[in-house]
Amino acid sequence: MRFLLRTLSLSYLRLHLAKTLLTLLGVAVGVSTLVSIQSAETALMRGLRNTVDRIAGKAQLQVVCDGGVPEEAQDRIRDVPGVVAVAPVIEQVVVAEGPASGSLLILGVDLLGDREMREYGFEGDDADIDDPLLFLAQPDSIALCTTYARRAGLRKDSSLTLRISNGTKRVVVRGLMRPSGFTEAFAGNVAVTDVYAAQLLFGRGRRFDRVEVRLEEGVSLEEGTRRLAAALGPGYRMETPERRSAQMERIIENFVAGFNVTSTFALAIGVFLIFNAFTVAVTRRRRDIGILRALGATPRQVQALFLMEAAILGVAGGVVGLAGGAAASGLSLRAMSDPVQNIYGLTEGASTHVDGRLVVLALTLGIVASLLGAWAPARNASRIDPVEALAKGTYTARVPPPTLARLAVGAAAIAGAILVAVFRPLTGLPMVVSVILLGFLSALLLVGPVSSRLVRLLAPAISRLSPVSGRLASDSLLGNPRRTAGTVIAIAASLAFVLGLSGYMDATRLALYRWIDNVITSDIYVRSSAKLLRPDFRFGPELRDELLAIPGVRAVESFRSERVSFRGVDIVVASIEIEGMMRRTKHEFLEGNAETFERGLVREGKCAVSDNFYGLYRLGMGDVLELPTPNGLVGLPIAAVFTDYTSDRGTVFIDRATFTKLWNDDRVDTYDVNLLAGARRDQVMRDIRRRIGDRFPALISTREEFTAEIRRALDAFFALTRTTLMTAILVAFIGIVTSLLISVMERTREFGILKSLGAVRQQVRRSVVIEALVVGLTGLIIAVPMGQLLTVFNTTTVAETFAGWRMPVRYPFTALIQILVALPLVSAAAAWLPVRQALSIKVTEAISYE
Amino acid sequence: MSTTGDTIQHRAPMVILREVVKTYDGKVRLTVLDAINLTIEEGEMVAVMGPSGSGKSTLLNLMGGLDVPTSGSVVVAGTDLARESEEGRSLFRRNTVSYVFQAYHLMPTLTASQNVALPLHLSGLARGEIAQRVRQALEEVGLTERADHLPDELSGGERQRVAIARAVVTRPRLLLADEPTGNLDSARGEEILQVLANIHRKHGATIVMVTHDSGAATHCRRIIRLRDGRIAGEERRNGETEKRRNGEAGKRRDGDAVTR
Repeated sequence: MRFLLRTLSLSYLRLHLAKTLLTLLGVAVGVSTLVSIQSAETALMRGLRNTVDRIAGKAQLQVVCDGGVPEEAQDRIRDVPGVVAVAPVIEQVVVAEGPASGSLLILGVDLLGDREMREYGFEGDDADIDDPLLFLAQPDSIALCTTYARRAGLRKDSSLTLRISNGTKRVVVRGLMRPSGFTEAFAGNVAVTDVYAAQLLFGRGRRFDRVEVRLEEGVSLEEGTRRLAAALGPGYRMETPERRSAQMERIIENFVAGFNVTSTFALAIGVFLIFNAFTVAVTRRRRDIGILRALGATPRQVQALFLMEAAILGVAGGVVGLAGGAAASGLSLRAMSDPVQNIYGLTEGASTHVDGRLVVLALTLGIVASLLGAWAPARNASRIDPVEALAKGTYTARVPPPTLARLAVGAAAIAGAILVAVFRPLTGLPMVVSVILLGFLSALLLVGPVSSRLVRLLAPAISRLSPVSGRLASDSLLGNPRRTAGTVIAIAASLAFVLGLSGYMDATRLALYRWIDNVITSDIYVRSSAKLLRPDFRFGPELRDELLAIPGVRAVESFRSERVSFRGVDIVVASIEIEGMMRRTKHEFLEGNAETFERGLVREGKCAVSDNFYGLYRLGMGDVLELPTPNGLVGLPIAAVFTDYTSDRGTVFIDRATFTKLWNDDRVDTYDVNLLAGARRDQVMRDIRRRIGDRFPALISTREEFTAEIRRALDAFFALTRTTLMTAILVAFIGIVTSLLISVMERTREFGILKSLGAVRQQVRRSVVIEALVVGLTGLIIAVPMGQLLTVFNTTTVAETFAGWRMPVRYPFTALIQILVALPLVSAAAAWLPVRQALSIKVTEAISYE
Repeated sequence: MSTTGDTIQHRAPMVILREVVKTYDGKVRLTVLDAINLTIEEGEMVAVMGPSGSGKSTLLNLMGGLDVPTSGSVVVAGTDLARESEEGRSLFRRNTVSYVFQAYHLMPTLTASQNVALPLHLSGLARGEIAQRVRQALEEVGLTERADHLPDELSGGERQRVAIARAVVTRPRLLLADEPTGNLDSARGEEILQVLANIHRKHGATIVMVTHDSGAATHCRRIIRLRDGRIAGEERRNGETEKRRNGEAGKRRDGDAVTR
């Protein structure tokens, strides 16, 4: 077999180098996107785990509380039997002004007591802190890791300006730490300050972000957790540092899942390209196969030969994909780091590298994709009748017309996919995967016959348009239905994916925009942090009265959100003065109405839930929702279900009075300021700025600025999905080029005869371009209904399954128009290389070509 | 089987065809072979002649296990091919028969020696043995010098010699030649027939050759004539005439010395 591979297969691949490379590229694109994403994910996870481990130091448990741990809890924790060390911590990511490098993680700790938990590296020649007492006495003291200090050109007693929300704070470097232990985290972008100074610096009031605990030897984590819970009461959570890392990992995994779908799709199209290339290779090599069979090669040997060729291509595609993936992994890491940084903080220090696991992954994917694509053509090759293959004049494989059984199974598969999506006998991922697999099966079975039919329908029009070139192009497409079908499937699947995803994005964006316009209706927004649902700082309740006192202000509402664990998932509890809000906002109700909503929340202490909360947990009007609060589990009857996009895990709305009573916390995330008629908004904003001064950070924006900011954030997210679309279009492009190159090779004799009869270059060129356009158009015609099905599937079934939302279905007309403009250009561009090849054919060689 | 000089002692039937029918189902049902009964002894060199469409190549394909009869039995070297599986017939072809085609059917990307080695590689023979056998086969057809040339670099006669070398390298019991001189001029054709005759004499292989050319047929002791899928006649030549013809290789093309 090695001899056959070396002599027959490799020489064929070498002879058709352009086609081989394009086929290889099809596999490589899929492999490289998967590899780059996997590599970035691994780097991010590794960085995250290292960081969490290093920062956690020797802490075994972290006590946290919604809104922060009050100072007085520290003593109660210390008194718990079995606790040997306690360390309060405030953690804040800031950006330093000047030539400093990137963000800086500031850890507020009790410098005198914290060495029980962490190693600070204050020892050594290049690291010191002169006078700990002086350091503590001055609240602007900060100690930097020497790595960062060197990068930023800072020495002891240098001052440093930190950007905190929209304010700035000046601090002085009064200590340097050698990079060791936790200071190594984030590539040294770490600073330490006194925890009480940090309270002041970052507006934490008299609270800590967490209190870290070390337990006596022999006291288990479970026992420690139980004792702490008993001592502290409800509202406190005891977490291990690993759990914190696990939460972040889940966020990254969810984020990565979307990209993995794209890469898998790209790889699936690669499978079609391999199928296409091998189908044609089998047709072209029928005579060789016939000779082999006549010489005694068994059907199994023939099949094995083609599968081994596919495996070699798969290895090559895997290697190229690995190289491409490694090169692109930096870009993927940057794209993935941004949202992670927004939620968590720093990600500097994470870097990608190719390890053994990635090499195995790339090669396995390449080989599996290749073997999948080549399986059917290899089987067909093994079934070639040697007599037929060696007979004079027989060149093209006879393709039997599609059987009724095939059409029936194809129709049943698509019907099955629709039924599973609508009635959902399965749930979650298995349901989505089943629908996709059934859809793919139906495409495999139906696209071939449908594309032949379409080309036959288009043929008269093409012939009228261009009697010679058009006729030849349509004959070429009809004469090799397997090749045509393979290309059309690749194009149709790519375009359907583009349409399906665009439809989902359009629907989601429009729904979110409409919702934002309905609920963001106040004139001015005063926010404590740029992070909407995880603010670094919260305002005190007294600011409301100060804002109300400003001339021109009619009403002020206090919005506050809190993450609460419900059935193991972090949902959002949002609170505001409901009466005020209802006067200016519009809501769409699924259950109940504006009246039951307002009466229930304001007068009866009930709650309302978002539509996706209802979709995810099946709790609606009349049910009682049990929520954990600092006062223990509280049952809240549901007064209404309404459309809301605050959180993809579900949102519960309550009145502000209910929240402050249940959470014992009156701090505020955002003040929604509404003006009197005729009041000058710019003047009021100036007054608010003056009033707040630099007492604490505040972002003050108009409604338009605020909505624009949210829209920008949404658009940034959607921009990421655009890379998916680019991949799909690239794959479609490769599909057209491969198919046309093969077509030109097969038509060598035909082009030779044409030229011998006096056909000019223009006619040859036109014939290839027409073929490209027809195959592209056929793919598009099939993609339009497929795209619509995918859009409906994404906006209803998928969105509802994973986020509980049912988005309004919209056909992606924008994407369709873009495709209508781009596809002819892409098709014509894809014809460039094949046209060159067709034009270079020599008449004498071509007419003796077999 | 044994050979003593030019005299071949026939021992057992190599090919037995009984009531063989071959039809092709299309828009019109076409009967290509109709109730053929034929026995070919081991060591015979037989020519099959007949006009186009008479069923010559189909007959050859059935003997080689490339095709199966619609009805009847085809027993070659003791193997009932009609009952064999596809895999079994492949192994039969590999081990028992060899083909020489009119259009040579060489792999265009392989050199002459690689083409000859191809069936041995399919059988999984050791490299050393393959090299030795290929060398011998090429020597036998007089192409040692051209061993490393691609088919494109060879003349038609040389290509057919490579095809013959490929056929004999497996030491087949039955060699089937389908119009082996059909693509060659008369001088090259005569050379090829001479090579086949020499192989027949030297190895005692059974050879069945389909030909249009009555001159080519004179190299064979037995000529079977086909017409419309039936055996229309059979001629046997005596050893004298055959010997004389062999001695005059390349000089005469007509089969005037054929006796009934």
